[in-house]
Amino acid sequence: MGAIRPDIASQMVDLCSALLLLTCFAIVAQRRLSACVDLFALQSVFLAVTAALVAFLTGIHHIYIAALLTVIIKVIVIPRILKKVIERLNVTRELVLNVNIPSSLLICGALVILAFYITQPIISLGFLLTKDSLAIALAIVLIGFFTMIARKKAVTQVVGFLVIENGLFLGATAAAYGMPLIVELGVFFDVLVAGLIIGIFTHRLQDTFDSVDTSKLTELRE
Amino acid sequence: MIESALVVLGQAVAALLVSPFVVGVIRKVKARLQCRRGATVFQPYYDLFKLFRKEVVVSTSTSWIFTATPYVLFASTLAASLLVPIFLSQVPFSFAGDVITVVYLLALGTFFLILAGLDAGSAFGGMGSSREAIVASLTEPAMILSIFAVGLTAGSTNLSTIVHKTALMQGIVTDPPPHLMALAALFIVTLAETGRVPVDNPATHLELTMIHEAMVLEYSGRYLALVEWASALKLLLFLTLLSNIFAPWGIATEAEPSRMALGLAVWLGKVSGLAVVIGVIESMFAKLRLFRVTDLLGVAFILSLLAVVFFYILRV
Repeated sequence: MGAIRPDIASQMVDLCSALLLLTCFAIVAQRRLSACVDLFALQSVFLAVTAALVAFLTGIHHIYIAALLTVIIKVIVIPRILKKVIERLNVTRELVLNVNIPSSLLICGALVILAFYITQPIISLGFLLTKDSLAIALAIVLIGFFTMIARKKAVTQVVGFLVIENGLFLGATAAAYGMPLIVELGVFFDVLVAGLIIGIFTHRLQDTFDSVDTSKLTELRE
Repeated sequence: MIESALVVLGQAVAALLVSPFVVGVIRKVKARLQCRRGATVFQPYYDLFKLFRKEVVVSTSTSWIFTATPYVLFASTLAASLLVPIFLSQVPFSFAGDVITVVYLLALGTFFLILAGLDAGSAFGGMGSSREAIVASLTEPAMILSIFAVGLTAGSTNLSTIVHKTALMQGIVTDPPPHLMALAALFIVTLAETGRVPVDNPATHLELTMIHEAMVLEYSGRYLALVEWASALKLLLFLTLLSNIFAPWGIATEAEPSRMALGLAVWLGKVSGLAVVIGVIESMFAKLRLFRVTDLLGVAFILSLLAVVFFYILRV
């Protein structure tokens, strides 16, 4: 742990993961597509900071590489791709939602509480660096799932997917001090490819239906 | 005894004198960001001075509520600011009430302002009052819960105890996630309650958007001065709550003149810093549509609720 007292170190990691959770709520409450992408980039910045902190505190150096990759792929490349996609679309915001924003927020609050209850027994058993990070990671995954269900536009669903990925990465970093580097690299490559494919897919959706509302896909049947 | 009286007096004077300055700082920051030179930060003082000497015009259709409201509003806000630690962590008046008293003293002022808006019978006043009622009813739970979240860790709802214990790091197990959520919630509440940009625009007189301005439209002269001064005082009170509940370090923990002077200086710095932040936010964001305000305040409420719930979950 170096020169920093363990309790302060774990509080610093907790603080960073709490910032990730805060940006999750901002994404859920945000209707503008480009702002959602910006918030995702901000969340990835916090994720990179958390990972770097964990790397610094545990002395495991390959987490630094993961943090660097997070910055390159999730803060720079993927938001760029999504912004390009949004520029081509004729919509800038979600107008019709499956679940309206106040009730989405309430549901997300319930999901966070659920995540904390589920992880409570695990936390008290283990010797984790932090008390809250695992619970927060699970909460972020659940909120990401919920965003994918509750929003109709393809772009926000992509953001939901990427939020899930962020949550998983936070969980892996906080609970297991990161996965082996080769797995880490594979996951990053997957996310990048998924981002690209979904970008192309959204273009096709726009060309075919003149809209990126994924519920229109049900019209494809014979 | 005399010391306590002096502290109370000093706190009242500090709150009353600094509040127009904070409004001036926000206006100056906004002007600078719009590439204007802007009026001096002391302009609100000149405005108040001018208004106090102007003649009062009161509509003939108004009742006693209209004339009483400025005094009720000003007195309740000033009383609330005496309960909040400003430069000394243990306020002499802390026996008189805790955070619930502060919240409802402010609510009393808001209530009378809403009545006064309706009283004159103009269409604008009624519109402003109904909007203010929506905003006030949505911010109140978020505000109470976010302060409770901090109060739970300090083991008291008394603001003096909360600030004192946090300042000394005494008996407090700080948990960053709940504190951060409560801070975010209280910040949104501050913007909404003091009529700042995502919720209300203090610089506009456009009938479709205004909330606070619509309610006080009928006021003039010294009544308007009192209302304006009270709203500046409310803004200062919220900024003080934000800085002293969540980061009280630097505040005097004992009633010693030198440490209190230091506490005063630190408080001025913190409050001006927050004023700059608010000015930047006002320049960065557009005002929300009225029906979207509930979304923003919903975020505040959920965050503060989570902050409270976290306390119980993490202690199990």
